[in-house]
Amino acid sequence: MADTIDIRGHGVVKGYAEGEALVADTTLSFWGEVDAITGKVIGVGHPLEGISLGGRVLVIRSTKGSSGTPMVLNLAQLEGNAPAAFVNVEVDGLAALGCIVNEIPMMTELERDPFELIATGDHVVVNADEGVLRVTRKSTTQR
Amino acid sequence: MELTGEQQAVLDGSQGDYLAKCMRWLVEWGEVMGAKRLIKVDNTHALLPVPNLMAQGASKETMDRYMADLVEACSHGTHPGCTCTVHAAFVTLDDLDVPENDPEQVQMQKDLAVLASDAGFIPTFTCAPYLVGNVPLKGEILAWTESSAVVYANSILGARTTRHGTESAIAASLLGLVPEFGVLLDENRKGTLRIEVKAELEDPPDWGALGYFAGKAAGLGIPVFNGIRRPSQDEAKQLCAALATSGGVTMCHIAGVTPEAPTIDAAFQGDVPEDYLTFDAETLKETYESLRVRTGDEIDSVILGCPHASINELSKIAALLKGKKVAKGVRLWIDTARGTKGNADRMGYTEIIEAAGGRILCDTCPTNMRIPAKRIVTHGFKQAHYARGMVGAEVIIAKTEACIRAAVAGRWLGDG
Repeated sequence: MADTIDIRGHGVVKGYAEGEALVADTTLSFWGEVDAITGKVIGVGHPLEGISLGGRVLVIRSTKGSSGTPMVLNLAQLEGNAPAAFVNVEVDGLAALGCIVNEIPMMTELERDPFELIATGDHVVVNADEGVLRVTRKSTTQR
Repeated sequence: MELTGEQQAVLDGSQGDYLAKCMRWLVEWGEVMGAKRLIKVDNTHALLPVPNLMAQGASKETMDRYMADLVEACSHGTHPGCTCTVHAAFVTLDDLDVPENDPEQVQMQKDLAVLASDAGFIPTFTCAPYLVGNVPLKGEILAWTESSAVVYANSILGARTTRHGTESAIAASLLGLVPEFGVLLDENRKGTLRIEVKAELEDPPDWGALGYFAGKAAGLGIPVFNGIRRPSQDEAKQLCAALATSGGVTMCHIAGVTPEAPTIDAAFQGDVPEDYLTFDAETLKETYESLRVRTGDEIDSVILGCPHASINELSKIAALLKGKKVAKGVRLWIDTARGTKGNADRMGYTEIIEAAGGRILCDTCPTNMRIPAKRIVTHGFKQAHYARGMVGAEVIIAKTEACIRAAVAGRWLGDG
């Protein structure tokens, strides 16, 4: 039976999305570390290197760096390879801008540690309008 | 956020759909970032590049939709009284003999440059606008893209800008407004991390190493450097670029240099933390080594001018290259703004560099162009960091003299 939990948080950029979680307790720069066309992480030595962000709920500490962030998100979105939603511990203004322009929901300030409660592969429903994440665990044995 | 009647009217469509969309971007972004109002912007640095998508395999539909937005933006004039310069492109506009340039992309960029110029954007195509005449005064409000230039404007010039992306800088250029948040406000310009510098910093890349180290430690915070002399313009450029590469830094303070930080006390607004990190000779060495991981010493590319070279750097490079020849099979590119190259042409530097087999590349950078390279020597920490992922090359970070020695030898010879 599916193991489902709700986690409350703050909807930074409103909206609703769902997808498979991609979780890493790390930062990521969309400029230089993500390929805009494939949505794959290309940062050498990055924990998510080689993995596509397309359609995923991206649970990371924060995005970082460049003013190229919104542009890469925009291109990835046009190619259908942008993340479905962002769940970040810290809000980087440029990712927030990219999410606003491309209508991608973003959540932060979760009441509990997302890195403990969400694992890669879990199904996550992001309701940034209400400020709730619904996490359906893929399997309790993998935890 | 509280809007004036006029701002609300633009949001409601009084000046058409596109400007309403621009206003919505600024208002929603401001609300997310905690701004209470929109304020007048004096100066912008906007991204208007044609992406090199065709080479990377994007669909024609993506390209058309992306370009339609940029063309639409350029069909509106920039706001009266607002100085607007343009960030580096992904191609060089006029050097058609560069094989890495996609002719179709070049033509699209040139067409866009005409539209942008008509709109009032100054076609500087550079990542270092402060080297080609966009030099804001202390306290001016800016909307700049290019994280390295943002750090430079805030920390060296004492102007004020948050980090902007394509859409926010375009919106600011057309509407003459920015949401007031972050480092636009005094209380958010307070240092967050104290770094005592014990290493002797001799050369611009040494300052890049300091920035690369500090950016990683500071994250989204504001590092304060204490115990260092005033950097040269080229050194400050490397420090700021590296800070924005390894971290999400928007500004730093150099005690005694940053216009609003004559002392370390001022940098922390009177609240100097007791804890600090130390950057010493050992840290300096380790930081260089972190961007020298390689499987061999043969090289195919030497890339200088990241961020875009100043005329002083071109002078130094020309002096080092005089009478020498770049090794066969090695690409020596020095990236700069077209305005700076104009001066280099007149001063004879271009001729010396080209006679040695090097090239001064304008408007763009090799990482943006995704040049095919296997092993790159460079003096820019930013270039070294990004080239690994974006170009897929091994990199060696080094001082300019060692870069030129490698270019001439065709292999990495060490620091010398």
